[in-house]
Amino acid sequence: MTLVLARRAIRASATNRSIALLLCSLCSLLLVTACAPQPPSRYAEVQKETSQKGNQAVSKEAQRGGSFNQFFPKSGNGYAVVPAQEKKGFAEYKVNKGGKNLAVLSISDTVSLPTAADKYKQSSFKIAGFPAVDQGQNSTGILVNGRYQVKAQSRDPAFTRQDRIAWIQKFDLDGLSRL
Amino acid sequence: MSKPIYELVDELPTGGLTVMGLKSLDFLIPGQWQNLVGFDNTIRTVTGETDEGLIQQIGERAVALFNDKSQGYQRALWLYETVDSASGLLGTAALMNRIGQDTFLGFLKNITPKPEKAQSIDLSVKLVTELVAFCQINGIPGDSIGDFLAALNDYGGESLMRMAALVCFDGIIPLGPAFAERALNTISGMSPSDLESNPTFNGVKDLIPGGDSAGQLSFITQSFAQTQGWMNNFVSSKNITREGLMGNLRNFIEFTDDKADYLGALLDMNVKYYRHTGIQTLARRLIERAVAEI
Repeated sequence: MTLVLARRAIRASATNRSIALLLCSLCSLLLVTACAPQPPSRYAEVQKETSQKGNQAVSKEAQRGGSFNQFFPKSGNGYAVVPAQEKKGFAEYKVNKGGKNLAVLSISDTVSLPTAADKYKQSSFKIAGFPAVDQGQNSTGILVNGRYQVKAQSRDPAFTRQDRIAWIQKFDLDGLSRL
Repeated sequence: MSKPIYELVDELPTGGLTVMGLKSLDFLIPGQWQNLVGFDNTIRTVTGETDEGLIQQIGERAVALFNDKSQGYQRALWLYETVDSASGLLGTAALMNRIGQDTFLGFLKNITPKPEKAQSIDLSVKLVTELVAFCQINGIPGDSIGDFLAALNDYGGESLMRMAALVCFDGIIPLGPAFAERALNTISGMSPSDLESNPTFNGVKDLIPGGDSAGQLSFITQSFAQTQGWMNNFVSSKNITREGLMGNLRNFIEFTDDKADYLGALLDMNVKYYRHTGIQTLARRLIERAVAEI
């Protein structure tokens, strides 16, 4: 009888011990998680810079977005060119076919973001006589008059780099260069 | 100062009542809405780019644009957040009103609005909030009213889901299948003071065009009348019924038929779909602009 009780006591204390161990490890896990400093976001620096009072991402000198509308290609041949955004220094249209978004077209005024214009200094080819660059896998752009960036971006694999180059040429680039 | 945009997007939930409620509407717009969360993840999905240096550039420009208050993105966020939390208060009021009708607390009827009037205001204010937030985020794109309507008609993804949720959770469930007509009748016969006593309206009134509350009521009524056709078409083309919606909701909320009246109020208080999908829309539009501008 005593033996049985002793065994039970040992078993019980073993169980208690394992529970205690489990609790300890849980606690330390919690402590470690709670105390471990969160790695700073990769955007923390730009957040700090741009959240100051009076910060401007868009220059006062930037063209009205609406002044760009007239230079965009028009709908036709089964493609719907639909206005999407119009903000100061920026206008964007979607190119849809059969209700599906294939690409986006945009004009932006680089007066707000001079680094955007700088990249055309390394341009290795031209479209319609304007310096052109490919950016990433889905974007091709040109710089008109050293200031206005015209871009075509694929949103579907069916819309290729050749399509982007062809659509950039559908803009009224002469008109834009006189703006 | 708002939280950084990347934190707002990183902190969007992947589960919970809001996400489950929205998923229950997937059958209406199959595959249109994926619960896209995480700022970098959104950049990759929207642009299809994988180069980390490029993602960093896009993200940095999007953060800067969001932080420039003159660009309207923070006002849009405020609208999405406010219309949700203010309508949650309405949910509480509607619930009190139901209790008022059903139990000995009959006197509560006198201090809480009738659900139909309150729901009609709520629905129409939320719809107008969508229009105002759209303009804050996208400007008024194009050169004509036709262009602007084409831009609105091009709604997809999380924006379309937000409208589906508006029709279902704030229209059909509380007001029934003829909700648009009922709501329009109600708001057409209202006085500005009815509007002034509505918490959802009071939450967002500063950004609703129209000048005073009489002008705002007229703006809301006209906007509602203009979009009524779209809403009715959405309901009839998808064959949406109250019963069908409730059947889907039963998959994640337990309720019995005699408690169905409370469902609208329950959703109102717990499903923050304007904020959730609004942040997703905001992130997408900022990223689209950022990648075009860099």
